[in-house]
Amino acid sequence: MPLSSHIGSQLVDLCSALLLLTCFAIVAQRRLSACVDLFALQSAFLALTAALVAFLTGHHHIYIAAALTGAIKVIAIPRVLKKVIERLNVKRELVMNVNVPAGLLICGALVMLAFFITQPIIPLGFLLTRDSLAIALAIVLIGFFTMIARQKAVTQLVGFLVMENGLFLGATAATYGMPLIVELGVFFDVLIAALIAGIYTNRLQDAFDSVDTTHLTVLKE
Amino acid sequence: MPPIVQSLLLVTAQVIVLLAVSPFLVGLIRKVKARFQCRQGAGVFQPYADLAKLFHKQPVLSTTTSWIFTATPYILFASTLSAGLLVPTLSSQAPLNFAGNIIALVYLLALGTFFLILAGLDAGSAFGGMGGSREAIVASLTEPTMILSVFTIALTAGSTNLSTIVHKTALLEGIVTDPSPHLMALAALFIVTLAETGRVPVDNPATHLELTMIHEAMVLEYSGRYLALVEWAAGLKLAVFLSLIANVFAPWGIATTLTPAALAIGLVAYAVKIAGLAVSIGVLECMFAKLRLFRVTDLLGVAFILALLGLLFFYILRS
Repeated sequence: MPLSSHIGSQLVDLCSALLLLTCFAIVAQRRLSACVDLFALQSAFLALTAALVAFLTGHHHIYIAAALTGAIKVIAIPRVLKKVIERLNVKRELVMNVNVPAGLLICGALVMLAFFITQPIIPLGFLLTRDSLAIALAIVLIGFFTMIARQKAVTQLVGFLVMENGLFLGATAATYGMPLIVELGVFFDVLIAALIAGIYTNRLQDAFDSVDTTHLTVLKE
Repeated sequence: MPPIVQSLLLVTAQVIVLLAVSPFLVGLIRKVKARFQCRQGAGVFQPYADLAKLFHKQPVLSTTTSWIFTATPYILFASTLSAGLLVPTLSSQAPLNFAGNIIALVYLLALGTFFLILAGLDAGSAFGGMGGSREAIVASLTEPTMILSVFTIALTAGSTNLSTIVHKTALLEGIVTDPSPHLMALAALFIVTLAETGRVPVDNPATHLELTMIHEAMVLEYSGRYLALVEWAAGLKLAVFLSLIANVFAPWGIATTLTPAALAIGLVAYAVKIAGLAVSIGVLECMFAKLRLFRVTDLLGVAFILALLGLLFFYILRS
């Protein structure tokens, strides 16, 4: 190993912290296209983290996962979402279930929660990525919160994808990645989910002239 | 050299550097913005000429103003300059490091802001009051963020003394070197810098449009040498914040000993770092539009959460 494990573990921590940073930017961002850009940036950091872990541990299959993250989450899915957004008549989300400052405070509390939950587990680990586990859990929680707090289908989808990023980081952090065949399946699933959600958003736009998912709750025969 | 002479020399050098560099930073940001907007723009040394011109002009005072109005430029200038003397610039030893720590720095800057708000109200014009109330909103939101990010830095170095923090970080000894808390504190402090120095997402330094101005509205009644002092103090505040960011988060190159060679390297490193930061602020100003006043809380909320996370990360990664 060319780098000392201490510096390696710090680099991984730094990359995971950058992932968390972009999460907060997504929570605070109202413009739909900027949310998608931030998601692409977050995925780029995720790919970087995965590549770093692969480099530090010598597990070559993580390189493939990192490359797939780059191809699918940094390029393909944001492009699909941008196409969807082009068709919409809304560019920014003005009404949210939870307003931005309150949302940020809740997300801060979620990060604390994630840290306190994982705190008993982290000292038991011996992997250099063990500190990232707390961040991964925090990202999953924040993604989930974004899905609840937002009303537009596009930002809810971004929340879902952020959750998936958190899970991927968690898998990398806890076990140096899942077996390659599982990861391939997950990538395929995420891609298909994003495509379906894109089509669904377009249908929503056609049916209601809006992508506000709260319209679906009052759908009556 | 006896220590007293040494510290006097250090104070003089730092005062000269700060006073000289602050109009240049303002000019540099304006130049970068102009180039990005495909304009030629005024030269980077234009703010010096502006200051010289203002110092020669006769100030006009409204008859409704009290002593606060005339005292404020001096208080603002002095408090900002003393704050600047608490921040290490060329050498890791700040000239006034025996007199105050990082918390004193925050409140020296707040003192200037407080008097500026008072002066805005003092003239009795609607704009001054509006600017003052807006500045109070921004200042009350940035202060907790700044304190939290400052605590994060202080905790990692185990001291609230800026010289100690910078010295330890520059030599990479005796500090907890986890990058994540530093990263969070850096992001928070950068947003605070933009808000406190009246840069674009929060305030627009180039506008005189009544609906958008904050800092400009407060100083609207000032003229002549008073305006020059206020403007220079604003430039100084920018220089103080940029020096803080540059030397706390990337202190490399700073002189850790007081030899001439080390100080010369320190001067070059300092100039490069703060010029780089000023250029990045100029680029950011071109990339982002000014936020609506009631959206500023979102941005400062992000900064607050980042600073809070910095503190959290510190405790989590330690345990």
